[in-house]
Amino acid sequence: MSLNFRNVLVIAAMGLVALGAIASEVPDTPEHVVGDSAYPFNTVDPRVEEKEAIELPDSVVPKLELLTPGEIAFLESGEAGSFEDVVKELEERSPEDIKAWVGAMQYVYEHNRYREGRDSPNVPFNTASPEFNAWKTERPRSMDPPREDGPLPLGRYDGEGGPPTFGGYPLALTKKDLVAGEVDVAIIGAPLNMGSGWRDSGEKATVDLRLLGWPMGGMDQYVQIDASEVLTVVDYGDVAVDNDSTERSMQHVRDIVREIAETGAIPMVVGGDHSLEYPNVAALADVYGKEKVSVIHFDSHYDAWWGGSHLISHGYPVYRLINEGHVRAADYIQVGLRSSGPDKSGFEWMREQGMRYHTMAEIERRGWTAVLDRIVAEASEDGRKLHISFDIDVLDPAFTPATGTPVPGGLTMREAITIVRRLCAESTVVGFDLVELHPALDPTYKTTLNSAHIVKACLTGIAMNKEGITEEHYLSPLSSEHAIDDYYGDQQQYLDATKAEEEKAEAKKKDASN
Amino acid sequence: MTLATLLRRAKIALLLALLLPVAQSAYAEWSVPDELRTKVAALSDEQIQFITSGAILEIIPERQLLHELASRDADSLSKLVDDLVSVSEKMAYDPERDMGAAPLNLSSTRFNRGALPTPAALREIERADGPFSVHRYLYPKSGVPTFGGADVAIWPEDLVAGKVDVAIVGVPQNMSSGRRDAGAGPDAMRGLNTIATPDLQSLLKPLDVLSVVDYGNFYPDWLSVERSVKHVTEMVAETAATGAIPMLVGGDTSMLYPGVKGVAHAHGAVAFGLLHFSAHPDVERVGDHTLSDRQALFRLLDENVVNGSAVVQVGLRGPDVDVETLEWLRDKKVRYHTMAEMQKHGVDKVMQRILREVEKGPEAWFVSIDVSVIDPAELVAAGRSVANGLGIDAATRAIRYVCAAKDIVGFEITDLAPMLDYSRLSVSNANALLNACLVGIAVRKAGLAPDYIHPLALDHGQR
Repeated sequence: MSLNFRNVLVIAAMGLVALGAIASEVPDTPEHVVGDSAYPFNTVDPRVEEKEAIELPDSVVPKLELLTPGEIAFLESGEAGSFEDVVKELEERSPEDIKAWVGAMQYVYEHNRYREGRDSPNVPFNTASPEFNAWKTERPRSMDPPREDGPLPLGRYDGEGGPPTFGGYPLALTKKDLVAGEVDVAIIGAPLNMGSGWRDSGEKATVDLRLLGWPMGGMDQYVQIDASEVLTVVDYGDVAVDNDSTERSMQHVRDIVREIAETGAIPMVVGGDHSLEYPNVAALADVYGKEKVSVIHFDSHYDAWWGGSHLISHGYPVYRLINEGHVRAADYIQVGLRSSGPDKSGFEWMREQGMRYHTMAEIERRGWTAVLDRIVAEASEDGRKLHISFDIDVLDPAFTPATGTPVPGGLTMREAITIVRRLCAESTVVGFDLVELHPALDPTYKTTLNSAHIVKACLTGIAMNKEGITEEHYLSPLSSEHAIDDYYGDQQQYLDATKAEEEKAEAKKKDASN
Repeated sequence: MTLATLLRRAKIALLLALLLPVAQSAYAEWSVPDELRTKVAALSDEQIQFITSGAILEIIPERQLLHELASRDADSLSKLVDDLVSVSEKMAYDPERDMGAAPLNLSSTRFNRGALPTPAALREIERADGPFSVHRYLYPKSGVPTFGGADVAIWPEDLVAGKVDVAIVGVPQNMSSGRRDAGAGPDAMRGLNTIATPDLQSLLKPLDVLSVVDYGNFYPDWLSVERSVKHVTEMVAETAATGAIPMLVGGDTSMLYPGVKGVAHAHGAVAFGLLHFSAHPDVERVGDHTLSDRQALFRLLDENVVNGSAVVQVGLRGPDVDVETLEWLRDKKVRYHTMAEMQKHGVDKVMQRILREVEKGPEAWFVSIDVSVIDPAELVAAGRSVANGLGIDAATRAIRYVCAAKDIVGFEITDLAPMLDYSRLSVSNANALLNACLVGIAVRKAGLAPDYIHPLALDHGQR
């Protein structure tokens, strides 16, 4: 859409008129900042320790002769450094030097803090733009020929042979499609591309996950389940994002994820940077209630940083969710941490908050199997509704080099597929995201294909859960053991289990035909 | 009809009633073809006005409108028109509904940290002012990579003390509206040491003639183009004020705005021309942000930082070149040269025209290059790459000429996204573009004519 300047005036006039008329349609979400309001929650990072005041020793007093009382007070506040540091600096310097040093420290202190008049308290958008909301304006369905609501296959050969969709699943575009199709899982792309490392998690990521998304469909040999036969899965298109502002993208992503969750379908958000965990989980809290959803965060980074000048980035989603009361810190499980931070203050904070963290250091100490069982047990505690947030940098870069901030020493695909399948089968999963795919960094298709396989592992798990297969670490007795001899001494057990499954399947078939 | 529908109808009627006096003058009126008049007559007056005022054509093209009018029944047509009115209605900003500004963390203890150069009293090492080498050897082959292997300067005092002619500095912003990796552009160009090599035409060694430094980076805010403007502008202005020519290495093209503005702070607004090589016009007028790569040149023209009549644009093509944009540029007196003109008249002829325009223009020029201007065959790692661009040969020749013929007050190369090219050919060619201007500046300082060719370079002399 393009507009000339005259049209700008007209549509601006339109906006003013519309203003009064639609005020009553504003959704009741208090976290949604409107106009140029400030962020309505506490912004202080509790992990930043207040500086201890210090008492300057008499020995340095002669050195302070050029300082004003305000400068001396600044030194005593501790903001210039600890007692030892300050005394050392003062002893080494002349009074003139000290004057310059204190002035510089005050300058830095002052410039590291917001000052009204000097600094903008926000990042203003061009509110005069007649296309202000064009980026997220939905196409009226009345523009297309009428069709029945429900998932829409795009190809002419039993649904195949059309444009690529996630896993070849049919397309859905509206909430009505989800409801009419009784959709179990809606996979939606979110091309947010604002990470701090390499950036290519925009539409290239969500499109590549469609071009190379075939692993998301089909049989899982380990458990002998084909998710596409058990579940109704759809490609729900991409959600619009504003790649010039993470903050601005958040509310719309939340709206669309909420729209999915309200129908009872499980939203699976794939593609973009990890800021997305915030709107994804906030939307689930909108539907299931505050502090009713648990989150398991797979990542080499803990993403609970805070205290920078911005209020959301891919380093902040965990803290922001907790800060706004969507999730209790104690309902967070962290898996795979190994990046350079957090430091002790971050780990102490997690421990105090009851956040269960499982670092690669724990896996190194206890071994994968023990940690796997512990994590799945924690995640499947009674009553937990679980969101899985899977940053592909939890995997070793050998498997997923195309991620914005890779860290070596991560999980293998063999480990990741198992834990994701088990979580989706053994706990009550209400949401899932897979983020931080940046395809340009991988000239092979490895990272994208592995990402699609992680999505498949969860789809399989959800299908198992729906089929009632929620026992601990289920594997098919048929595919996991040939049972032609008694090598492990438990041959009969496998033969019996296989037979029992066959009988169960027969009975089910009979039920269905009756 | 439900109450909700009634209210909705009333709302739309109100909206249209208030809109119409303006709309009638704003849109080209659209007259309904005779054979469709009966179809349209079934609609309400307000709906008819939405169509005949031409407002509807802002959302769907005329071809589509004709088809919808001909093929839909009355109910379906009425629903469509109502839906399109509703789309128009929701498009503009509403302070009760929309976020008009992204809030920041006002309690942050590092609110401006990225844009805070270390004050003198806190610098760890005392040294005399002036550029310094980062190498152990007199004739280094490797080591810490700098632009062209040049010495490093950190503070404006270094530039003054070293009488620096050219300060090459990175602005690693990474917010391209295309593929993103321009944040890695400066380091990629440092890492491939092909700048400041001898000039084949004049056989000059640029570093023998010019005092060139690697002036480090000016840090943008990696989450906000808007928040980067103030600091980058100030730093560019400070650099230019020392008399050094800032050669900026982006970064995406949003940083062209603070780059040119900073130079204008030092040399005066509209005191110089802008020669802008890019596939993209970057004059988006109605963006919902206040700055992005697509708006960089619009902002410069709109705020009179540069005068349209002293702007020459080269290489336009791609998705943003449309009638409205070219008309706007023409109204602003910008001399634009599209790839269509090149195809029609040949690249050489158009380049001659461009050089004449520059020569006739102001004495001082800012040269900017969005690497998208080059054909993807030679520079695929452009954030906003478009097929059918200029060759590196034609571009470097033109840049070298202008930088040799005119006073260069600033230079900027933007939107190199290194990760899109595993061969690094793109980086090599980006360096060639920067080098072309550096060499041109050296030729001018040496007092040679822009088109001077050393006889040794031209002919082997054997008889």
